[in-house]
Amino acid sequence: MTTTTTRTGATTGAATRPSSRPAKRRRTAVDRAPWILVGPFLALFLLTFVLPIIVAIGQSFTTVTRAGLFGEQGVTTGFAWFENYRIALEDGNFIASIGRMLLFGVVQVPVMIIAATVLALLLESASARWPGFFRATFFMPYGIPGVIATILWSFLYVPGLSPIIDLTETLFGFTPDFLGAGTVLWSIANIVTWTYAGYNMLIIVAQLKAIPPEVYEAARVDGAGPWRTAWSIQLPLIRPALVLTTVFSIIGTLQLFAEPQLLQTVSPAIDSQFTPNLSAYTTAFAYNDYNVAAAQSVLIALVAFALSFVFLRLTNRSSR
Amino acid sequence: MRQVTRRELLGWGLTGGAAALLAGCATPGTTSVNTQPVVPAAAGEKVTLTYWAWLKDLQKVADVWNAKNPNVQVQVSWIPGGNDGGYQKMYSALAAGGGPDLAQVEMRTIPEFMLVNGLVDLERYGVSEHADKFDQTLWSQVSFAGGVYGIPQDSGPVGMYYRPDLYEQVGVEVPTTWAQWAEVAPAFREAGVYIDSFPLDDTSAFTAHAMQAGAVWLRSAEDGWVIDMAGETTLEVARFFDQVIDDDLVTTAANPYTPGWYAAAAHDQIASLVSASWGDALLQSVSGAEGKWKVAPAPRWEHGYGSSFIGGSTSAVLANSKHPREAMEFAVWMNTDPEGIDAMIEHSGIGWSPARDYIGAAREKPSEFFSGQSYNTEVFQPATQQQNPDWQWWPITQQTFNILGDGFRRKATGGTLVDAVVAAEERTIEVFRQKGLTIRKAER
Repeated sequence: MTTTTTRTGATTGAATRPSSRPAKRRRTAVDRAPWILVGPFLALFLLTFVLPIIVAIGQSFTTVTRAGLFGEQGVTTGFAWFENYRIALEDGNFIASIGRMLLFGVVQVPVMIIAATVLALLLESASARWPGFFRATFFMPYGIPGVIATILWSFLYVPGLSPIIDLTETLFGFTPDFLGAGTVLWSIANIVTWTYAGYNMLIIVAQLKAIPPEVYEAARVDGAGPWRTAWSIQLPLIRPALVLTTVFSIIGTLQLFAEPQLLQTVSPAIDSQFTPNLSAYTTAFAYNDYNVAAAQSVLIALVAFALSFVFLRLTNRSSR
Repeated sequence: MRQVTRRELLGWGLTGGAAALLAGCATPGTTSVNTQPVVPAAAGEKVTLTYWAWLKDLQKVADVWNAKNPNVQVQVSWIPGGNDGGYQKMYSALAAGGGPDLAQVEMRTIPEFMLVNGLVDLERYGVSEHADKFDQTLWSQVSFAGGVYGIPQDSGPVGMYYRPDLYEQVGVEVPTTWAQWAEVAPAFREAGVYIDSFPLDDTSAFTAHAMQAGAVWLRSAEDGWVIDMAGETTLEVARFFDQVIDDDLVTTAANPYTPGWYAAAAHDQIASLVSASWGDALLQSVSGAEGKWKVAPAPRWEHGYGSSFIGGSTSAVLANSKHPREAMEFAVWMNTDPEGIDAMIEHSGIGWSPARDYIGAAREKPSEFFSGQSYNTEVFQPATQQQNPDWQWWPITQQTFNILGDGFRRKATGGTLVDAVVAAEERTIEVFRQKGLTIRKAER
């Protein structure tokens, strides 16, 4: 932009030159202003976001080999091509963890989005009582940090401590195993749904509130009942909010970390590579293999990107 | 000359910066402090040492030293325990070229720190003159390739905690061999009690059993590492526990010292517990346990040793220390001087002291909790004399443990411990080779 301004300034006639000077100065000042304003953001963004990504990608293509018992006979660092990716992809447990998260997402995300939508529609319906109170109540779990929420729930899952298990044992003589190999994934899904349904509900409520009252009036004049209004007016109009919350949930699913990490202490079924993020964390900080961990992280990012992209493509196509 | 646009400038800056960063950002831990000259002792000036540890109130122990050594002051910072975040913190500090002078590092993690060149070889600072103050088995676990990489700080010889009342109730003797242990176990099941629990996800207990049976999973030889994880000794132990779990003689649902286990123990559903000496303090958290438990020697295998060690940590001098000699002297004092040991027992509640001649004044007395039994001198002190002296830890101990643990978890869905051990050996070899380290299977 600057170059063009200078050039036009230089080629214009001598008569216009004196008057174009201050204008040019003003233009450059105007040009500079946004950069100065976004500067602090940009610096932090580059330093804490872009650079780590570049370094991680660089690390994922690096390999360190050691000679001797502990590398005392020399350590060499070299370019590894796709060796780290090969190691990551050949690791059956890592692939299994991605598969596990896909299964988790296919079940948990729809359940949560449907629950959030139903809650939002109920709160925004004409017959809702104390919507403000219930909105705050449904949202409250989101205010509890994930770590605390998991600890709270783990006390409801552990046999011998859980009042739920005590109750089912005395009433039905049946001992549910919340932490077994087949069930612990769904116990985690329960915690995640409990935490985030209220948050997603709030986003949907915000969009519902943005629907102009005229639309409702028109629907009423045309004889639409509450069901018809919800189905034909509200759901189509909150579509952007639903797409947004779903994409966030898909990304969140792949990044699942705190819940399984904490439940590990009470559930033998959760191994060190239960979720993709747990796997990368273990590789980096328990095994000190930063290079393979970087490759795993890049793979996780690619999968999250691909899934979000596919979902957005699908929703765009069907809306056309 | 064509003027440069801002966008181009920004582009160059970014690429240049990234390239410089990538070039400067070599993978951390690839240079060794032990090839550099020895750091001389401080010449009379005041030195402040920092010590990162997860023992509680360790500063109070350091204060005992500080009062007597005005020129070498030790400051303790508390960090989260080992794999709960402590090591992560140390590794990042080392990678950034900093870190404390001393840090608490578990025995089994010493080789992992050596792999990232994180530790000072104390042999170069004359540590060998102190060698005879320490338990020889533990000393050999911190010695590698002619160097010494940590000062043993605590450990846990294994014994068996048991409930005399429950043994009396079902009418069986306290077992002295694992064969007897398996024989009496069914009697407890009839009473709705488990003789013990077997943790599927924490392999340190299984490792201790194999160690006791005489196995040596890895050893460092002249020509590299030799692995014998899936040797007959270990497989026998794995087969034994496969059978025991299949027969439902032990519980795999609650690991020792987890909330579920405490609940079961409080409800009289656990008859005994083969565990380390530091379990004594943890047992006191079982509600209403006072006076109910006693301690016996661990059951023995047909071959091997009378006991084994579970856990244990060292005071290690980290690579970026400015005063390695002073740090080593403090660590030796703290871990062998009766004053240091007593202070560590009183304030920090350490496990078994690695000092050869002194177990701590508090531990020589009979215990009220264990109904007046002098269990430390009766059981654990002799246990330290019956250890597998050949055991060594290796540079990816934690990874092997995780691989083994991941295999053990499959027991719940139809796998076997034997398969897990065999697979873990193969996988460990692969990981060694990926890191460029030399390893071969033992001849068998």
